[in-house]
Amino acid sequence: MKLSDIKVQKLFQKTLFGVLSLFGIIGLSTSILLIYTVNDYLSAEYEDNSKDIAKTIADSSVDILLNRDLAALQSLIDQFVEIQGISYIYIADETGEFLAHTFVPGIPAEILADDPTSTETVERKIDGMGHFVEVGRPILAGVAGTVRLGMDTGVIALKVQRAIGRQLYLVCIIFAVGVAAALWFVKLAANPLRDVLAYAVALARNEEKEVSSRGEVLERKDEAGQLARLFLYFSRGESRDDEAPPGPAGPTA
Amino acid sequence: MNRRSLILYGVGGSIVGAARAEPAHSGVTDTEITLGMSAAFSGPSRGLGIELYRGASAYFQHVNDQGGIRGRRIAIKTYDDGYQPDPSVNNTMTLMLEDEVFLLFGYVGTPTVTRVLPMLKKFQDRNIYLFFPFTGAQPQREPPYGDFAFNLRASYRQETAGLVDNFVSIGRKRIAVFYQADAYGRSGWAGVRAALKRHGERIAGEATYRRGSKFTGTMRRQVEILKASEPDAVICIGAYAACAAFARDAVDHGLRVPIANLSFVGSENLLKLLTEGREDSRQYTDLLVNSQVVPSYESVSVAAVQEYRDFMQRYDPEAPAELVQEAYAPFAHSFVSLEGFLDAKLMVEILRRLGDSPSREALPRAVFSIKDYDLGIGERVSFGPDRRQGLQRVYYTVVDEGRFVPLTDWGERFA
Repeated sequence: MKLSDIKVQKLFQKTLFGVLSLFGIIGLSTSILLIYTVNDYLSAEYEDNSKDIAKTIADSSVDILLNRDLAALQSLIDQFVEIQGISYIYIADETGEFLAHTFVPGIPAEILADDPTSTETVERKIDGMGHFVEVGRPILAGVAGTVRLGMDTGVIALKVQRAIGRQLYLVCIIFAVGVAAALWFVKLAANPLRDVLAYAVALARNEEKEVSSRGEVLERKDEAGQLARLFLYFSRGESRDDEAPPGPAGPTA
Repeated sequence: MNRRSLILYGVGGSIVGAARAEPAHSGVTDTEITLGMSAAFSGPSRGLGIELYRGASAYFQHVNDQGGIRGRRIAIKTYDDGYQPDPSVNNTMTLMLEDEVFLLFGYVGTPTVTRVLPMLKKFQDRNIYLFFPFTGAQPQREPPYGDFAFNLRASYRQETAGLVDNFVSIGRKRIAVFYQADAYGRSGWAGVRAALKRHGERIAGEATYRRGSKFTGTMRRQVEILKASEPDAVICIGAYAACAAFARDAVDHGLRVPIANLSFVGSENLLKLLTEGREDSRQYTDLLVNSQVVPSYESVSVAAVQEYRDFMQRYDPEAPAELVQEAYAPFAHSFVSLEGFLDAKLMVEILRRLGDSPSREALPRAVFSIKDYDLGIGERVSFGPDRRQGLQRVYYTVVDEGRFVPLTDWGERFA
């Protein structure tokens, strides 16, 4: 083996693996926590917003229901259904008769089968349309009817995915930078050790010229220099038994 | 033919005909009165805006040829809204605040007009009024916005009530509704519901379609929904492209009951779609019955109809070239252009009654001075503070020999 071939790898492989594993565990656990947190937060926010919109429609509907034509009511809900995420709105009177809605080509059987005057929040699957969170609000305390509003959970899920995606993107960047930094530090730590190793091999082979050319490692004040001096001491130990081994490097050495 | 007599501003401000006079603050100069119009000149319902405009243009051109109103020629500033609410609102803003037209005239559609009405209330200090919109919906006929609009045509309530009453009278009590999923559709739906309620009946079934649907699309699902309700008749509240598609698919899928359409549908465009290129077109049209708010343009014994036919032939009015980007073959005569013609005729009479110094503030007084006015169709027109709709009569037509003709006997036709 040539001295130039000497590489220090095995010593740091476990360390590097450990660092990467740690990063992976941190990234994974952060992502899972993030998914749950963002999903819960955004879903709750969308549901709250839906309830607020339903309340706004309910409040606006009172005057229209009591004094005006249903075309005005339809015009009102048509404007709200343009808001992203709102898939449908329907208004029923106190007897449960549908007075206005936004369904095409007709009111789905799943909704016809339910109580349109309910103000409960329900999760609903409608054939051919998808999954929805449906909220309800009474109009004039329910005596004038009920407004119900369906939010597309697919749109909510997409929003959640986008938010999570952005967070994960940041985590991945931090992970990549961390790995690169770890590799750089390992390389930085390996260089003096490789010099010590080469110096020790040269001493062992008694290659005076090589020992002389790699002598600068003895000047180092860190553990590498101390180790090199220790190797030199031991290589001369048989001929100079009266000398004490070298102490720690530094100002007090 | 004289196309120079009417000054027509397109959306880009281009001018067809005579040189443009600078509009004054109130839309009136010494030489011109400018009216503002936002309507469908593009999209699947463009035939409605184009025909309404052509009919009105024929009469305005005649008036301009005669020297205008007290020396002032009539100009129409037109914008395309494609029968969509948001463009209609934007166009109205432009007409009111930038173009500063004298009044708004000939708007097309319920979803558009219902969104424009709050703007008229918001800017009520400017005294901008909407004249003769091509819609029979209630919002521009009752508070809180009724004070800002004047209507000539009968309402959808009157049209739907007439259709329901006639169907019920011949034993067709199970009535289903096919309607546009918007304010227009809901207005007609509400009319059918109220009329059936008077007879102790309820809507048998209902199906909707999206505004802007084309004839090339399918209405099979809607037909299946209504067929399941086993109706005796179907009343359609929609525009011609979708209603023609529904009538076609109803026949193709075995729903053989009378299919009624309201005046807004655009009867000639509906008929054209159902018959053009078909050898077996009769099966698609023999069960149609369309309500109209003007007499048949075939009734040449009616003075205003004869006048309309003469002016349409003489002036052969065209739609604003700047606005009509899609191919459209205009009709020599149509119910929609006849309505536009009558709208213009009454508009001119109102403008004449404003005197030498027309002002927006004086418009209501001029309108309310119209009492038992003979428009030439056999039904007298009157307006008042509590009467903001000039005509009340509804006509019914069916297809015979490829054209719409008056329906004389419901029992004989549909029993």
